[in-house]
Amino acid sequence: MTLIYFLNGHIIMQKPNAIEVSGLTKKFGALTAVDNVSFTVAEGEFFGFLGPNGAGKTTLIRMLTTLLKPTSGRAVVSCCDVSEAPRSVREKIGVVPQAVTSDLDLTGYENMDIYGRFYNIPKRERVEKIKYLLDIVGLANRANDLVATYSGGMRRRLEIARALVHTPEILFLDEPTIGLDPQSRHVVWEFLEKFREKDSLTIFLSTHYMEEAETLCDRVAIIDAGKIIALDSPKNLKSEIPGSDIVSLTLSDISRLENIKNVLTATPFVHKIKVDAETLRIYVDNGAQNLPSLIDSVKEAGGIVSSVSIHQQSLEDVFIHYTGKSIREEEAKKVSFFVGAGVPQKLGR
Amino acid sequence: MTRLLAVIDRDIKKFRRNPVVVVMSFLMPLLYLVILGNSFQGKLKNLSMAVVNQDSGTYAVRLIENLKAIEAGAKTFTILQLKDQEAAIEGVKSGRYKTALIIPPDFTKRIVLNKSPEVGLFMDNTDSISAETIRNSVSGAVRAVRQEYVPIRERPDEIYIRDINLYAMVDYYQSLVPGVVIMAIFLGTMTAGVFNLVMDRFLGSEESYLLTPLSRVEIVSGLIISGLTITTILASVVFAVSMIITGIPFYRGIDQGISIIIIIVLTTLALLSMMFVFLGRANHPRIVGIFSGFLNVIFFFPSGAVYPIESFPDWLKAFAKINPEAYAVHALKSILFKNAGLKIVAGDILFLLVFTVVMTSIAIVTFKRTL
Repeated sequence: MTLIYFLNGHIIMQKPNAIEVSGLTKKFGALTAVDNVSFTVAEGEFFGFLGPNGAGKTTLIRMLTTLLKPTSGRAVVSCCDVSEAPRSVREKIGVVPQAVTSDLDLTGYENMDIYGRFYNIPKRERVEKIKYLLDIVGLANRANDLVATYSGGMRRRLEIARALVHTPEILFLDEPTIGLDPQSRHVVWEFLEKFREKDSLTIFLSTHYMEEAETLCDRVAIIDAGKIIALDSPKNLKSEIPGSDIVSLTLSDISRLENIKNVLTATPFVHKIKVDAETLRIYVDNGAQNLPSLIDSVKEAGGIVSSVSIHQQSLEDVFIHYTGKSIREEEAKKVSFFVGAGVPQKLGR
Repeated sequence: MTRLLAVIDRDIKKFRRNPVVVVMSFLMPLLYLVILGNSFQGKLKNLSMAVVNQDSGTYAVRLIENLKAIEAGAKTFTILQLKDQEAAIEGVKSGRYKTALIIPPDFTKRIVLNKSPEVGLFMDNTDSISAETIRNSVSGAVRAVRQEYVPIRERPDEIYIRDINLYAMVDYYQSLVPGVVIMAIFLGTMTAGVFNLVMDRFLGSEESYLLTPLSRVEIVSGLIISGLTITTILASVVFAVSMIITGIPFYRGIDQGISIIIIIVLTTLALLSMMFVFLGRANHPRIVGIFSGFLNVIFFFPSGAVYPIESFPDWLKAFAKINPEAYAVHALKSILFKNAGLKIVAGDILFLLVFTVVMTSIAIVTFKRTL
């Protein structure tokens, strides 16, 4: 939807925001899962939420998709407030939750059909739409098989197709490629791009895969411990950290670490050094060219290098830059004391 | 309406995809009929009794004849005559006999002299039901000793008609039919309705349905209606088959059949909505498992299906007053055995209706539309 209005004789076209969030907070007892989060997502934007497990991504998506009531703050999704008009929000959004949610006892087609009926889509329209979607996600020839016979990747693809059966304005995906092999992951990325182009969808995605956020998203918000700590395009986020490359040096002896650090810091092309046990992460310009002299400096300072790696900055490094920890560090999931391992996805964030 | 129908359609489709569950749901209530019918026999039989007769007098002989008459007729016990009193008592202690009857040497003499005659009855009183039954039969035989004739006497030279209470026996089976129908309904409400909700929640698919515009009313009533459809079919088939097995005649033909189905539908609705109230927020199928076993016993046995409500203690009678299964059993028994029409069971129908409305309202209000 585009708003067109006249101002001082000029025609002004403005795309309204698809999602507007201000001061959104969710507390579970003493724990603050989402802490005073504010952001906007423009119509047609591919927006990503990047953060480790337990950062509050799922809780945030569940609030935006009306599954959880916010403790405080406001969220407007497709022009409707999630607390005041949850039903109107539900009609306009499609959601792919993190857990696999397709019905095992139904066929792929039936899963889509029942879902379409929940949205009151007339039969003829439904049949066409389901065929179109199943074609794109590559499940047309398995449409009449029970979902119980599908692989994990197929179920995920079906669930994405199902979330689009009612032609929503915004598609929410909560870690859509978690647990998928790299090939299936790329397939999912491909058709997400396709859907976005064809249907001018706004897509809101949460992930803890750097590559995913980098490949797909126009803008990425980095979330940690319930707070947004950075929000920009992947390119801008990366340019915030000095040094285009990162050289990781592992030392076999760290007794002269301080000396080595001092020598390296004095080197002109070195911007920053982070120490992680025996590994030095050195942010440098032109890493490949400067590597030999870097190793020489270390030797001169009395260090012995046991291994070297060099890579271009990625969002992973951006994440480390902002949070001081790697995104792969996973926290233990919470499991209910009363019901055991039954429903971790409900209590996990 | 489209949404509601979609909920119902989905649920019934999923049920049909589990043929094992479908077959079990039909067979299990019928097995209940056979097993209940044989384990809760109306009368006890073939309890072993050791008899030690130390008296050779006429009254002792007459007492033994009376006991033998019971052995041959009602078959309450089987008699083993022993010489040794100690052996008989030991036999009771070791469980070989349920009871030992000792007739002392002066039994006949004391009867003749009116000097309070006695017999000793050693009972295994840990098995109180058997002990009670034997005591009643023996006291009957002892009281009859003073009578000058023996009512039933077995002599090899006489043609003897042995009563085998075939009709009473079948009647007992028949009296279980309402209970079996209730069992079938209970089983149906456990495998359909709220169970599907808990299962969806457990498998994670509930989340995807909560994301759609479905309302609470549509979710709860959709599941209750699909459960009703499945359970009514189950219970009606179980009812028809147990009628054939036990040979209950249809007094009023199709009318009676319709009345029965109305009661089945109302009972199903009452139980389905009640389950929703109890289990609407459960999130693990194990919780349903524990609850179903428990609820089945506490609702079924005080329903009057097996034992008459009149002989319950007051607190249990009070519970039977709010137990929907008690009303269902009463209605079914009246229609089946007393040839009653719907007017006579109007009270039961009213209770089941009110119960359903109250429970469904609670279920809808307490149903959590968010995670």
